[in-house]
Amino acid sequence: MDIAYFPGCSLHAMAHEYDTSTRLVCQRLGINLYEVPDWNCCGATAAHSLDHHLSVGLSSRNLALVKDMNLKQMTTPCAGCFNRLKTASVELKQNDDLTAEIEKLAGISLTGAKEVEVAHTLQVIMEAVGMEGIKEQVIKPLNGMKLAAYSGCLITRPRAIAQFDDPEQPVALDHLLQALGAQPVHWSHKAECCGGGFAASDTDIVVDLGGQVLEAARQAGAEAIVAACPMCQTNLDTRQRAIEDERGIKYNLPIVYFTQLMGLAFSYSPRQMGLNRLLTSPTTLLRSRGLS
Amino acid sequence: MSADFYKPMRLNEIDSSLQEEIKKVCDINVELCMECGKCTGGCSNAHIFDYTPRKIVQLVKLGAEKTLLSMDALWTCVSCQLCVDRCPSQINIPHIMDYIREKAHRQGVKTRRINVELFHDLMLNSIRKTGRVAEAPLMLNFNLRSRQYMKDAVLGGRMFLKGKLSPFSPVVKDIDHVRRLFKKIADNREG
Amino acid sequence: MNDKAKTALVVGGGLAGMEAALKIGQAGYKVFLVEKETVLGGVLRQLYSSFPRWENPQDLLNNKVQQLGLYKEISILIGMTVKTARREKDAFIVDLQGLDEGDNRQIVVDAVVLATGFELFDASLYGEYGYGIYPNVMNSLEFEAKLKEWGSGQENSQPPQAVAFFKCVGSRDRSKGYPYCSKICCMYTAKQAGVVKDMFPAAKSYVFYMDYRAAGKEYEEFVRSVIETKHVRYVRGRPSKVIPENGRLLVRAEDTLMGVPIEVEVDMVVLAAAIVPRKETKMLAEYFGARTDQYGFLDHDTFNPAKVGDRVFFAGACGFAVETQGAQYQGAAAAAEVIALFNQGGE
Repeated sequence: MDIAYFPGCSLHAMAHEYDTSTRLVCQRLGINLYEVPDWNCCGATAAHSLDHHLSVGLSSRNLALVKDMNLKQMTTPCAGCFNRLKTASVELKQNDDLTAEIEKLAGISLTGAKEVEVAHTLQVIMEAVGMEGIKEQVIKPLNGMKLAAYSGCLITRPRAIAQFDDPEQPVALDHLLQALGAQPVHWSHKAECCGGGFAASDTDIVVDLGGQVLEAARQAGAEAIVAACPMCQTNLDTRQRAIEDERGIKYNLPIVYFTQLMGLAFSYSPRQMGLNRLLTSPTTLLRSRGLS
Repeated sequence: MSADFYKPMRLNEIDSSLQEEIKKVCDINVELCMECGKCTGGCSNAHIFDYTPRKIVQLVKLGAEKTLLSMDALWTCVSCQLCVDRCPSQINIPHIMDYIREKAHRQGVKTRRINVELFHDLMLNSIRKTGRVAEAPLMLNFNLRSRQYMKDAVLGGRMFLKGKLSPFSPVVKDIDHVRRLFKKIADNREG
Repeated sequence: MNDKAKTALVVGGGLAGMEAALKIGQAGYKVFLVEKETVLGGVLRQLYSSFPRWENPQDLLNNKVQQLGLYKEISILIGMTVKTARREKDAFIVDLQGLDEGDNRQIVVDAVVLATGFELFDASLYGEYGYGIYPNVMNSLEFEAKLKEWGSGQENSQPPQAVAFFKCVGSRDRSKGYPYCSKICCMYTAKQAGVVKDMFPAAKSYVFYMDYRAAGKEYEEFVRSVIETKHVRYVRGRPSKVIPENGRLLVRAEDTLMGVPIEVEVDMVVLAAAIVPRKETKMLAEYFGARTDQYGFLDHDTFNPAKVGDRVFFAGACGFAVETQGAQYQGAAAAAEVIALFNQGGE
């Protein structure tokens, strides 16, 4: 299938490995990603916090670009971008006044943008390929690796916008990991918040909320946490030491993107999947399963 | 608090225009609130809010706009959307927060959480200039502007070694359309 | 002109259905009492204690079963369900299906009382409470079974240190459940929370509530006594999330009277799931030409509150949530309608 690809700012910087692994894995699964040319930032928390028109407008321009590519679907691996793009898509469909105001403000037509459908890459993979299709590509199964599937907030919430999986007990990521031969653990924080965009501006919030996520994963016996969002991954990985200091517990939990694990199972090397870029090293875990 | 705080609130003097405004602009009806507190019980950050989500809905009903505009919670809500889907009436509280925060920002209402507002502003500046966010320069800029010169210095070093910090700022070619979207927020600031 | 040849059918052998059949039989009319389970009693059989007088519901059940056996007019057909039914003039021709494939039976009746009861809302729709995922999160009927197990006097493996009761799970929730109040949960929850304190005086018993609705004879006094003399702790707030932590369950809620988020560690969470109609009720209503409302409860006639269709009456929770005493009243009322109809000697 052909689909427009919106990497977002993080995947071009801190989460470069998420971008690389997503592209390789999708290629293997027969999902052809075409990066949206000249895309702009979705506006993230900053825009929706301060200006609704700006927030919807920034994302709408990206939707309009997809229409120009003659594609009807767009995917992004970033949960934050997904939420902003999908919110804009829903607003454009439902709110004609707002659409007209943004068209006037930006000087662009959004007629085509209304037709573009947005889905998170996890959803695209699960719906277009599914567990069976993933299993067919698995060469090196993850050998019962105990993983905490961490959907976080924005892939499934709010329900009316995301329209995917369950906002309280999401299962898509668990199913994907099962297909790779891993053993997803039952845990309580698969859809709780990591602290989102507050890592720089109010680090204490991330240390508090991220700490609760790490603790829940530890209690559930997870050997790593699997993320589907660059913000979740970055918060839990980069703030893990601060959390350990705060709580006096050594977590040492690698925070891995689901696409990195897919790539490993599809027999790409850990380095090709950028697993060396994680601050909390997964090497010991990978060795224990014969994957490194 | 003003001296009025010590007098009982006269309910028949309440100006309910804010409630009407939120109904009209955001399509959110706070009268659906059943006062159950489910929003607050599960809120990621209610324990550090000055006004919890349920109280925010109540403040809208009470027309307490001044309190809402200056409340700390505007700047500590993580927009995790937990309250929306748990609410028996699906009242979109984060959307109410966005609406009020936008208004507070427009009116220049001072917040104690200046760093959060500063970070948002710097991020928007980056988007206005280049169309995208360059994470590393943004962080550096933020640390300088918030006078936290040593903040995350060790972490920054670790991230640099992992190749996570790129000094480059990408630029959107067709930047004009992006910049025009900032007109409203810029006008608001001037006006 | 009395016509004792007339026959009634009561569908459902719970308390309401038993009461209806008993009164019709006592009046001298032939009545079939059809029950899908192999024993009579319905939900009443599952209960450990009753409100507002802390009686043993099994005494009530035994009394009714024993009385039913006294009247030759009453035929009890257990393990049978209504397969289909059609109307022929003033009669209904009803095909019954037993537990075995070949176990069929056709009966002809002149009036019908539907007393099919209720079921509990599927609490797993609240992912945040983890029903169906965490073993110690259960609905209120499963908890009655637990109380029976504890009350049986057998050595109890692990007495709970704390139990939390959540009211309005599915009720008063437009987004996931039903907008209506299920009416009886406030009372049975007070009862269950009180029993916990009786059985395990050292245990904590918390009831999370939005309101407590105790409109009934001796009801307010009952709830107050649970709070004041049994020391059940009522917390005003609808819980938001259950988190397994350190082998126990952490409940997150707001104390809305204080306006602060709170957490409490418990060993068991009991969900007062909404009272919803059985799916079969709507189907049976169609067979017999009875009205149902938007939810699938039987919908009564304005002037005859026990009547839901021509020659069709209802009793019990298939009309709407109702407590034990109310189910008996409704059973008697439906029987009165049937008897009055039969006494007219046909219309």
